[in-house]
Amino acid sequence: MKSFVRLVASERLKLSKSFIWLLVPLSPLLALAIGLLVSFDSYDISESQAKYAMLVSAMSSFHSMLFLPILTGIFSAFVCRYEHGSGGWKQLLTLPISRTALYCAKFIVVATLIALTQLLFFGAVCLAGAYHGISFDIEWAPLLMAIGGSFLACLPLAALQLLVSVSWSSFAAPLAINVMLTIPNILVLNSAKIAPFYPWAQPMLTMLTFSNDSFNGSAPTISNMLITIAGSFFVFWAAGLLYFNRKEV
Amino acid sequence: MNEWVIETKGLSKRYKGRYAVSNLNLKIARGDIYGFLGPNGAGKTTTIRMLLGLIKPSNGSVHIFGKALNKDKLSILRRIGSLVEYPSYYGHLSAVDNLEAIRRILDVPTARIAEVLDIVGLAKEARRPVKGFSLGMKQRLGIASALLGNPELLMLDEPTNGLDPSGILEIRELIKQMPKQHGITVLISSHLLSEVELTAGTVGIIRQGELVFQDTIENLHQQAKGSISLSVSEPELAMTLLKEHGINAIMNDSSILLEQTNNETIARMVKRLVERDHSIYRVEEKRKSLEDLFLQIVGEGKRA
Ligand SMILES: Nc1ncnc2c1ncn2[C@@H]1O[C@H](COP(=O)(O)OP(=O)(O)OP(=O)(O)O)[C@@H](O)[C@H]1O
Ligand SMILES: [Mg+2]
Repeated sequence: MKSFVRLVASERLKLSKSFIWLLVPLSPLLALAIGLLVSFDSYDISESQAKYAMLVSAMSSFHSMLFLPILTGIFSAFVCRYEHGSGGWKQLLTLPISRTALYCAKFIVVATLIALTQLLFFGAVCLAGAYHGISFDIEWAPLLMAIGGSFLACLPLAALQLLVSVSWSSFAAPLAINVMLTIPNILVLNSAKIAPFYPWAQPMLTMLTFSNDSFNGSAPTISNMLITIAGSFFVFWAAGLLYFNRKEV
Repeated sequence: MNEWVIETKGLSKRYKGRYAVSNLNLKIARGDIYGFLGPNGAGKTTTIRMLLGLIKPSNGSVHIFGKALNKDKLSILRRIGSLVEYPSYYGHLSAVDNLEAIRRILDVPTARIAEVLDIVGLAKEARRPVKGFSLGMKQRLGIASALLGNPELLMLDEPTNGLDPSGILEIRELIKQMPKQHGITVLISSHLLSEVELTAGTVGIIRQGELVFQDTIENLHQQAKGSISLSVSEPELAMTLLKEHGINAIMNDSSILLEQTNNETIARMVKRLVERDHSIYRVEEKRKSLEDLFLQIVGEGKRA
């Protein structure tokens, strides 16, 4: 266990002095800008809970539909980037660490970066709420569930992207494909059949549970989502581990 | 009694039906410097990758420190420092941070970083991002990384690649000291015999994936001792005479070549020939350089 912590610390060190840290606050800042611009005037909403629902739905549209899936891809590609350049896998895998541990460490770094992004997003929501003078006296659980759930929804995607990034020595190619598969989110959202099973749409769908709960109950519930998320995560994760353990370096 | 630090049995690696390494039986003794030689594409790197568990052998087994590599991989790797092909580095990090990333995994004291940087002569450049390093400096950093964990076994794949002559000399001196000062066993690959000639105790020569020579450097020298060439008035008759006396010789044009070069044999042979009234024009020693011998071993049986 202690050696695993050291391994994660080593992975983190590699990310120092890199632009990846600038990407973490990018989307939350954009969401904050959108949140500040939201106008409640044209709607007849007085209840704080409903106001938050509207605020979050506006702020999370780009964030969960585009940025989260794309950032997940970038983070996953980034933790493999330095190993692909200049034979790093060879050096890393001759150190006394199991491939499974290394894969987990890389995944944890990706997950932490996504978690930080979500944390900042939550901060942005609070800031925007305070700016509009909405009372903080609301039910926080659904919002936190939505933000946490959409973090979880990124994990299958992260597992899939990590698999692609580990196997593909190119940095840009997995990213381009990831972006290409993220764009259809705009359309997929309207299909109740495909959306729950499209990995790139999951972060958005989980985030929507918050606003939808407050408006109507027709959208998939968060517990339904979690089953799909857990299932797809397990498949991608197992495939990635299996592949990485057999990879010839 | 000999305890092999590395022992492989029938080690083979097949790529698409073609053997890159085939049936390799390496034996490397503790405290030895083993020069692993072979021309480009002979299979040196492939072998080292198998020894480090980076790729799985198609056939055969690897034992290191007396333990099976596929069973005790991590505990074996902890005791090995390696540099495979070209050095790996994180370009955006300084030399210190590059070593720190490895140190965190190996869990050695922080002071060890300064030590290894000093050993490879990079102490002054330690704080610069490595992407600005020259090839030789990166190579030195690679060697520093290999030394970081106080290994008992060093595997260096062409470690002097890209080094200037003084760098080559430094690394050679450094490698020479390893067994003496720290009891470290070293496996060093190269395509030049001259590079390991002065350091190695044992050499293994690999050609097209097969080990064609494995012995001490003294025995290699012995083989390279050369031959005695004799010009005489009637070579055919002289050959028959030598055969009668049980001396092995080969006719080469009009001269006679003797592989055996010990003094008694030569003296006996000359005496016999003179007794039979042969005129001896010349007795010459033809010296083969070690490099010639290496090229000959490597070149033998070359398929088109
Ligand atoms: N991944 C691979 N797929 C197919 N063939 C390979 C692969 N890796 C190595 N080979 C082949 O195996 C042979 C041995 O290669 P290797 O890199 O071990 O040679 P080497 O002795 O290290 O040569 P050099 O002195 O050039 O470094 C070569 O013919 C090479 O083409
Ligand atoms: Mg090689």
